[in-house]
Amino acid sequence: MAQLNRYFPKLCHPTCGLEINFQRIRRNPKVKVFTLASVAAVTGERGDYTVTVRQAPRYVKANCTACGDCARATEMKVQNQFDYNLGKVSAAYLPHEMAFPMRYVIAPQVLGTPEAERIKAACKYDAVDLDEKESTFDLHVGAIVWATGWQPYDAARISPYRYAYLKDVITNVEMERLAAPNGPTQGKIVRPSDGVAPKKVALIQCAGSRDYNHLEYCSRICCLASMKHAAYMREQSAEATVDIYYIDIRAHDKLEAFYRKVVNDPHVRLIKSKPAEIKIGPDGGPVVCGENTITREIYAEPYDLVVLATGMQPAGVEGVSGAPVDAYGFIVPEDETQGIFSAGVASGPLDVSMSVQSATAAALKAIQAIR
Amino acid sequence: MSPKNTGVYLCSGCGIGDAVSMGSLEKIATKEFKKSCKTNACLCGEEGLETIRADLAGGVNQVVIAACSPRAMTDRFRFNGTQVIRTNLREQVVWSHPANDEDTQMMAEDNIRIAITEAAKSTPPEPKVEGEYSQVVLVVGGGHSGLTAAREASKAGYEVLLVERASQLGGMAAKWSKRMPVRPPYQDPQPNTVATLVKAVEADSRITVKTGCTVAKTSGMPGRFTVEFSDGSSQTVGAFVVATGWRPYDARKLGHLGYGVSPDVVTNVEMEEMLAKGPVVRRSDGKAPGVVVFVQCAGSRDPNHLPYCSSVCCGVSIKQALQLREADPQVMVYIVYEELRTPGVAEEFYRTAQRSGVIFIKGTVKTVDAALTVTVDDAMLQQEIPLSGVDMVVLATGMVPNSTNVEAEAPEVEEEKLRPLKSDINPYAPFAVAGTGAPPLTPPEEKLPEGAPLLNLQYRQGPHLPMLAHGFPDSHYICFPYETRRSGIYVAGPVRRPMDMGEAAEDATGATMKAIQAIHNAAYGLALHPRAGDLSLPIIGLNQCTKCRRCTVECPFGAIDETDQGFPQVNSTRCRRCGTCMGACPVRTISFTNYTVDMLGSMIKAVNIPDETEEKPRILVLACENDAYPALDMMGIARHQFSAHIRIIPVRCLGSVSMLLISDALSVGYDGVMLMGCKPGDDYQCHFIKGSGIAKERMSKVGDTLKSMALEAERVTVAEVSIADSGRLPKVIQDFVEMLDTFGPNPFKGF
Amino acid sequence: MTTMSPTPTRPYDLGFTRWVYQNIDGGDRMALCMQCGVCSGSCPLSTTMDNGPRKTFMMIRAGMKDAVLKSDTLWNCVSCYNCVVRCPRHVPVAYILHELATLAVREGYAPARTSETNKFVKGFTWSFETFGRTDERIISLFYYFQDGFVAGIKKLLAFKSIAFAFVKVGRLPLGLPHRIKNRGELKKMLAAAAAIEARHTAGRK
Ligand SMILES: Cc1cc2nc3c(=O)[nH]c(=O)nc-3n(C[C@H](O)[C@H](O)[C@H](O)COP(=O)(O)OP(=O)(O)OC[C@H]3O[C@@H](n4cnc5c(N)ncnc54)[C@H](O)[C@@H]3O)c2cc1C
Ligand code: SF4
Ligand code: SF4
Ligand code: SF4
Repeated sequence: MAQLNRYFPKLCHPTCGLEINFQRIRRNPKVKVFTLASVAAVTGERGDYTVTVRQAPRYVKANCTACGDCARATEMKVQNQFDYNLGKVSAAYLPHEMAFPMRYVIAPQVLGTPEAERIKAACKYDAVDLDEKESTFDLHVGAIVWATGWQPYDAARISPYRYAYLKDVITNVEMERLAAPNGPTQGKIVRPSDGVAPKKVALIQCAGSRDYNHLEYCSRICCLASMKHAAYMREQSAEATVDIYYIDIRAHDKLEAFYRKVVNDPHVRLIKSKPAEIKIGPDGGPVVCGENTITREIYAEPYDLVVLATGMQPAGVEGVSGAPVDAYGFIVPEDETQGIFSAGVASGPLDVSMSVQSATAAALKAIQAIR
Repeated sequence: MSPKNTGVYLCSGCGIGDAVSMGSLEKIATKEFKKSCKTNACLCGEEGLETIRADLAGGVNQVVIAACSPRAMTDRFRFNGTQVIRTNLREQVVWSHPANDEDTQMMAEDNIRIAITEAAKSTPPEPKVEGEYSQVVLVVGGGHSGLTAAREASKAGYEVLLVERASQLGGMAAKWSKRMPVRPPYQDPQPNTVATLVKAVEADSRITVKTGCTVAKTSGMPGRFTVEFSDGSSQTVGAFVVATGWRPYDARKLGHLGYGVSPDVVTNVEMEEMLAKGPVVRRSDGKAPGVVVFVQCAGSRDPNHLPYCSSVCCGVSIKQALQLREADPQVMVYIVYEELRTPGVAEEFYRTAQRSGVIFIKGTVKTVDAALTVTVDDAMLQQEIPLSGVDMVVLATGMVPNSTNVEAEAPEVEEEKLRPLKSDINPYAPFAVAGTGAPPLTPPEEKLPEGAPLLNLQYRQGPHLPMLAHGFPDSHYICFPYETRRSGIYVAGPVRRPMDMGEAAEDATGATMKAIQAIHNAAYGLALHPRAGDLSLPIIGLNQCTKCRRCTVECPFGAIDETDQGFPQVNSTRCRRCGTCMGACPVRTISFTNYTVDMLGSMIKAVNIPDETEEKPRILVLACENDAYPALDMMGIARHQFSAHIRIIPVRCLGSVSMLLISDALSVGYDGVMLMGCKPGDDYQCHFIKGSGIAKERMSKVGDTLKSMALEAERVTVAEVSIADSGRLPKVIQDFVEMLDTFGPNPFKGF
Repeated sequence: MTTMSPTPTRPYDLGFTRWVYQNIDGGDRMALCMQCGVCSGSCPLSTTMDNGPRKTFMMIRAGMKDAVLKSDTLWNCVSCYNCVVRCPRHVPVAYILHELATLAVREGYAPARTSETNKFVKGFTWSFETFGRTDERIISLFYYFQDGFVAGIKKLLAFKSIAFAFVKVGRLPLGLPHRIKNRGELKKMLAAAAAIEARHTAGRK
């Protein structure tokens, strides 16, 4: 979520709410946080669960002050996962400027190289521990809330869209990073192929969602996310045109107003069509092909940049969650009998506001279970 | 309380000691302020912490830490309730300024002065708890949401009072014969669970139900609301869940769709009633319909009716269509839609309807005539198609929030009290879109929904719940859907935003969680979001108060009422501790114990102002601690450099900054003042809603004051800063510094 | 001729639609079409089709039986199956088009006799019935000469250069095609297929 640049419909920054929540957690001694940790197993029953947690090594101890000397000590760079690999970051890195906890991480790739020693030597506080091993420990809890969220659907699997071959075909989450001031381009939206600001952009809805070949459900948020991306484009360029290819625009409740506001812009065009394919144009750029279902015109439209509105796939916790999972991987606990609950996108494709609603509800359910 | 014994602790780690002279910093503490001072190479390390702990054991009872940002190492620099004052030497000084530079050194020194001054002027707040606090959750509305809220509160051990306007529980959803599926495989309409829920509520000994009853009057505050009911009874309750639901949009306004023209044109709610009664027949002739057409968005998504999408009607029509198809496999059912909205896993519900033979037509229904000919502008076939032979038309009408009690008459309320509520109902804030020639959408006119206020709040700021667009008493925040401007009152279900039963139940549970939190926090004197857990409260010096009412008007949360004598009175548990009242008060008689007018003024004055010959301007930055201050930190983390002439003092909210504070700063020789705060206006990002907007308005009048001091008005500016602005800030600051340069030094220097 | 499909008398009468959903292989899945346009957009012949598959499916819903069965869309499908693999609702688009073409022939809609596809199919059938295999040369010759000798020669000449190029690279062998062994078995298979088809047709409602 910190990876998102701004939220629809207010176009405000996620880090704003994150700061408030982090402050609360920092101040509250009753909340314990483990990072780089995943649940390996859950046993027990409502009121009495044993959760086995596996914690991956950070190679940096808790006494890290986040001074950054380690990062400056090495030339080695690794893919920046926070930027969906759109850029690189030092092998000793702070995940992002608002990271919680505010501590560096050492990329495992650097281990065993002389760089690792250089990183270790640079730390004045002896906080680097290259020998750190994965650890496993048990927690005893009365209730569990799964809030494991989602990952973007792998766009490379939608083979007709040639995401793996065309540099200027990106996903909506990559668009968020490109537009983010702390992203790989400092917030300037450019085409990855040549770094030039795009003038003609296509946004393709349901890239992988509502599709038996991919995700069978509707991811709910992609329509509004694309409206937001149209707004990003139009904020950055007075000439830019944005074409949105869609099946149905799902701007539920009051979000309808945001949708109306965006498409009220004459530079934003809605085309009711699920594109069949993205071809490689003579200049190597993307050409979006398909049928305009209203006019029945068969189009082949070249674009500077194509953004695939890929959907949300639940982070797979089947097998360990201890609660029933539906056919898509969302956790759908039977209420009451268990002390296991789900919140946010772990429970279904929800937007942020609905996720917080469901999380607040899950908190109460969990409290009831341990009462 | 024992006298203050302040220990000052400096950290030379993280490059601080390499960039500034620790010795000189220590001298500020020991010589200028006569405080004990220790420097450690890694104060957050075990050894550093041990030093502090040892001193605490030895009598130190207040700690000043000059190290990293107060946003870092919060958990480490926490010493069992001892007051800790922190100042930022790392992110905002050495990481963002050249090392071993005279200006950097001065900046660090001033930060020490500011912090020690703050410590001297600040007293840790005591919790304000007095008398009894009620633990009762009052649930208003006994529909699916309200029933859920009542049960969930009870399951958490809380007493509940549930009031329902109708003579029986269940609300709208009690009428449905089936409900949409919420569990896998998400395919078929499911048995309605409302009746079971009603039984569970009625059998629950912790829940008291009052039917045929509404709220007549509410006064008080979280933990101690006094509520009078329409039946003349009254009770004290701790918090509210408002779940008054919705009513169908008035179909009589939809004559063009045949409503009222033919008896066989019905609304979806009427269809529900027919389905519940069993075999659906035409009202005209009692025959079973062979051809049924559903018209989606009947009145929704229509600027002439309801501009929003009612969210549920697509799913509802699918449910009803499936029920019709199941009852009679021969019946032909059509759903005419513009956009088919079955978000999330409901997509499977849509497919189920298709599989069962329901025909979906994308298009717009132009008219429905008396003979039930439905004229459709068919988008896919690109022609106008008259659907004839239709036996029944179902209008999928939308939901109107019950954010007022339309069944009761609105009481007389002074216009003055309604104004702020009215002006909020305007969501159509244009967001910044460069270069579009698009005409702006016409904003809806400011108006309050008809009917009586739901809770009839006896608040200085009016009887209604604050509402957003179209009368939804919703939160404006994406991250905080339960943020509320009326502390302790949480709205849930479709009255807040159109939603189905699945979401409404979850929402009601969430709102219950917040109500319980409000009850708990009230009893311990703890603040609610966003300063959750804060104990401080505004204290008003009534002997100086001129009854100007600025504080009662400006409080974003309506926390201050006026007594019969016209004096302001803070309702402590309504207060969110933003300090807007403190910034509003023209005689400066409102303060918190740990955030006082004097403290801020003294901190500002603690800075050493070099005289004009030194060419070292001093610029005061008052930064919102929630967004601008973190952005300034992140500048340091990214090692962006910015002018060393600025002095940053965090504030709770720009709303807490008064004009007088600014003129004070200028009179002691600051060359300029920059206020950094969140975006105000319709798309506000201020966590205290109005704080930054109020500050902006106050500062727009600063020109006169400056003129009277013979200073340029531009010396004071309000910068809209978001938390993501760390990349942009150096330039914002630099531009201001350069502009001030052109004015030359402030002539008040040295006075 | 077996039972005919019903002919609607008003727009969106579902008589024909339901008949198609129930009687055509894959018709039940056609019900799931959400008019996204991927099939028509994927079709290499889409520009030569009057309606394309997506609109065809909508027309079936609208009860436009005549227009559907007269449509060239049914005949211009070249069975590339792009639509089938891409359809997000797993509608077996191409198969349905073939079924509809068969229906069009059975119910006497004109294009069946004249369409190029139909002529080609005749050559195709003759080839495998005669040799037990499909031989491109035989099919082409059969197809070219269906409109008379002169027309056939003209068509042949038009493809002359391509043909020579194929010969050069050894892709067009000269000499008669081999017949397969056990042609009798093939005949039995074809007869069985015809019987199934007849049963299907008879069973239609
Ligand atoms: C035709 C139709 C069918 C639907 N079918 C489904 C479905 O199958 N599945 C689904 O998930 N959703 C469905 N929905 C949506 C669903 O009905 C709502 O989500 C549900 O009604 C929400 O319940 P609620 O308790 O919030 O509101 P309501 O049902 O409106 O209940 C609110 C209650 O508060 C009372 N009240 C109002 N004002 C006051 C006051 N001032 N004081 C005291 N009490 C007051 C009312 O009398 C009422 O009893 C449908 C919607 C429509 C339009
Ligand atoms: S839910 Fe469907 S019918 Fe209802 S307003 Fe939204 S789009 Fe229209
Ligand atoms: S303005 Fe802020 S601090 Fe003052 S009473 Fe209102 S909520 Fe409390
Ligand atoms: S691809 Fe499938 S769902 Fe889309 S229009 Fe074609 S048949 Fe319908």
